[in-house]
Amino acid sequence: MTRRAIPAYAAALAALALLTLLAFAVGRFPLTLGDLAALAANKLFGAGYAVPPTAETVVMQVRGPRILAALLVGAALAASGTAYQGMFRNPLVSPDILGVSAGAALGAVLGIFFSQSALVIQLGAFAGGLAAVAVVYTVGASVRRHDPILALILAGIVIGTLLGSVIALLKYLADPYNQLPAITFWLLGSLASVAPRDLAFAAPFALAGLVPLALLRWRMNLLSLADDEARALGVPVARLRVAVVCAATLMTAAAVAISGIIGWIGLLIPHAARLIIGPEFSRLLPLSMVLGAAFLLAVDTLSRTIAPIEVPPGVLTALIGTPFFLWLFATARRAWQ
Amino acid sequence: MAVKLEARALGYGYPGRAVGRGLDLALPAGEVLCVLGPNGGGKTTLFRTLLGLLPAQAGEVLLEGQALARMARADVARRIGYVPQGHVAQFAFTVREAVLMGRTAHVGLFAAPGAADRAAAEQAIATLGIESLADRVVTELSGGERQLAMIARALAQGARALVLDEPTASLDFGNQVRVLREIRRLAIDGYAVVFSTHDPGQAFLAASRVLLLAHGGSLRQGAPQEVITPQNLREVYGVEVRVAVVEGARVCLPSL
Amino acid sequence: MPGRGFSILIAVVLLVPAAFAQAPREMLDAAGRYVVVPAKVERVYAAGAPAGILVFAINPDKLLGWTRAMRADETPFFPDKYARLPELGRLTGRGDTANVEVLLRARPDLVVDVGATAPVFASLADRVQQQTRLPYLLLDGRFEAIPETLRALGRAMGDEAAAQRLADYCERAIAEVAARVAQVPPERRPRAYYGRGPQGLQTALGGSINAQVMEFLGARNVAGSVRGGLAQASLEQVLAWDPEVIFTNDPNFYREVWGDARWGAIAAVRARRVHLSPHLPFGWFDFPPGANRIIGLYWAGQILYPALFRDDLRSKTAEFYRLFYHQEPSAAQLDALLGEVGVLPR
Repeated sequence: MTRRAIPAYAAALAALALLTLLAFAVGRFPLTLGDLAALAANKLFGAGYAVPPTAETVVMQVRGPRILAALLVGAALAASGTAYQGMFRNPLVSPDILGVSAGAALGAVLGIFFSQSALVIQLGAFAGGLAAVAVVYTVGASVRRHDPILALILAGIVIGTLLGSVIALLKYLADPYNQLPAITFWLLGSLASVAPRDLAFAAPFALAGLVPLALLRWRMNLLSLADDEARALGVPVARLRVAVVCAATLMTAAAVAISGIIGWIGLLIPHAARLIIGPEFSRLLPLSMVLGAAFLLAVDTLSRTIAPIEVPPGVLTALIGTPFFLWLFATARRAWQ
Repeated sequence: MAVKLEARALGYGYPGRAVGRGLDLALPAGEVLCVLGPNGGGKTTLFRTLLGLLPAQAGEVLLEGQALARMARADVARRIGYVPQGHVAQFAFTVREAVLMGRTAHVGLFAAPGAADRAAAEQAIATLGIESLADRVVTELSGGERQLAMIARALAQGARALVLDEPTASLDFGNQVRVLREIRRLAIDGYAVVFSTHDPGQAFLAASRVLLLAHGGSLRQGAPQEVITPQNLREVYGVEVRVAVVEGARVCLPSL
Repeated sequence: MPGRGFSILIAVVLLVPAAFAQAPREMLDAAGRYVVVPAKVERVYAAGAPAGILVFAINPDKLLGWTRAMRADETPFFPDKYARLPELGRLTGRGDTANVEVLLRARPDLVVDVGATAPVFASLADRVQQQTRLPYLLLDGRFEAIPETLRALGRAMGDEAAAQRLADYCERAIAEVAARVAQVPPERRPRAYYGRGPQGLQTALGGSINAQVMEFLGARNVAGSVRGGLAQASLEQVLAWDPEVIFTNDPNFYREVWGDARWGAIAAVRARRVHLSPHLPFGWFDFPPGANRIIGLYWAGQILYPALFRDDLRSKTAEFYRLFYHQEPSAAQLDALLGEVGVLPR
């Protein structure tokens, strides 16, 4: 069976480029293509065309950061999901499995509950995500007598549920007029309020998480083997897992801190990418990231253009992603397993 | 003949539970050791200890004369290869990609396999004669084909000692024969091979030494015809067998 | 004999009204429910914040407790004994925190809720009434209905005079504000955006209770084309709307909006017409959705139509707080309420 590597990459990158251009071109603020072209000329070539005054703000300060954020969050979630699906040897695993989203949600909800500023809420989300995974990993790793993978998953479920209950309690105690709507909206996820400052915060952490995954891109394949096999091949499995969990958690926490909880990307995109290009991680990771970025960009663009009010991206990812995935499932050749 | 795999007064088991004690083993290149024993008799425990996956409870294991306990994992992997029983294929890697994974111990931490590694993998595939399978996906292979691919992976490690845990389990008769044939050929090529099986007849076919493990850790070691006797098998398995010579080859038949 | 008959007649004439006055009465509440209210009501449990405000305003000594304990910044606006009333939780059918046993232990004569009167809330009221055997009055919380609600509550509590005074005040205020607004032709009414939450991107849609003050004042809610409650807007959409005035409830957003280059492109921000609503002890603009917003009409009115609303806000606030919260705010408190930079052009 041949892998359609080059055509797959080419198609994915082309789709991404087109979507990015499209995303710049559409939006609720009325801008003509002429305005956009003029602005592009001004920025790229130093030309001096006249553009409507707010156009520059909209394109550079509002749409631009939001598009970059969509690309960043989509790629980060897809990369995390890919790494975890390999590490847990299970194609149905999502980046939330170790509780990073629940922890981030708790951090953000606490911030909202105590009426903090947007920056503090973001930091709270980031710190919460990291802390939750640290607890889950410690609990999972301290249980010696079971399969370490199973122990991690169970710890993730238990701690995630606990954090979820605390969030539910906070929602209950929150002021129903003021805090509760803010909490609800954060939990639904949104890229509506991304500022350049948020990108400056999230990008370094996401990159920091990506670097180990990129460096270990071939070793990751070995995590798909049983522990004994991998160790017999010379892989320090426990240490590699810690590295992967740290990397994936950094990426996911950084993404969730700026976007809230957007589900399905970390689960579906790696799966779809694997159906296209196979499980070999060094080929799978880049494709997964490109597809994740493109998908979230498409979803976010829809989210901000189809109505005057925002449609939560998490709802759209589920509505779009599920039928698409079913189609892929049905038409893929048997050898996807 | 260099001694590839050696055990000295080896005690093996799990924390709080000793499974076997006082095992002495010396396996030079070209020898095939068959390990027999009932379920739960400690074969897998012994293998995991020989591979360094489980710490020895007493004594030591030596690979090519060096103590395993003091070796780095990658060094161990370069000297001894493991073919597990029943590899579960979760993801659709090709055989070539799977065999290439055997080169891990030779590939730097942050690197990917290079030309030399790919050549070694091709060599391993050729040695086992499975070129026709190289581009197929492991999840689509039959049990026997997958087993051969795993042996190729162990060969790609560059190790000269191989441990195969029940390599013929759940294989059809034809594939069983293929695997046994490969084991003999590997020995001829200078590998030291250890394999376990439930069929004493396979020891006669492929092994030059036999280790018979019983519950409680007692063991017998020696040439196949010395160890596979009706008394020993009656003691260990609790069944009656007849050992006979057919056309110059020894066979072991149960008496029903 | 005429003397004795006459005495009997006098006695009957005197006693009968007294007898009637002692009997429980049946009242029709705003959800169409017939509720039997006791003759004397001394202890009232307010099921939600808007109800608490009204009960407190009419007769503070009859209020058993607040739905949420007063916070440190809210207590200075009330006489001490009222600020320290116990927390009894909410029982409004949305995010309830009250424990029915706590409610029973407080032995109220009457349970009052002021707010939505839709069938779902009516059935909740019925349920609580059945469970506790306490009369549960559900009154209309809509802006326009505040005077009538006050009168009904006054009748139920037996404090008609106090309630009448408050109802008259509200009626006059509402009528006055409505008359002023009516003078402004539609095209001169400012386009306003209400931004809630720390990033100012949560907004109130057309007809929502959150936008009520704004829309009552005739401001054109930029998000008004969509009817509903609360929703999230994108910054780009707000830029496209380009509102002339922005109201907000979040001090964090209010602080940061001035320095944010993206918001700076909006007309309201350029003209420094971003206003943070006062919120002590109860919000002036949005929540709780009760009579506390009446004073907000004057505040927001002055922001939207400075030429028409020339009231002295300090004295208006003092009067309102005296009437409703039974304590006139000190000069320092008035400064704190009204004196934020950008709240009023000075």
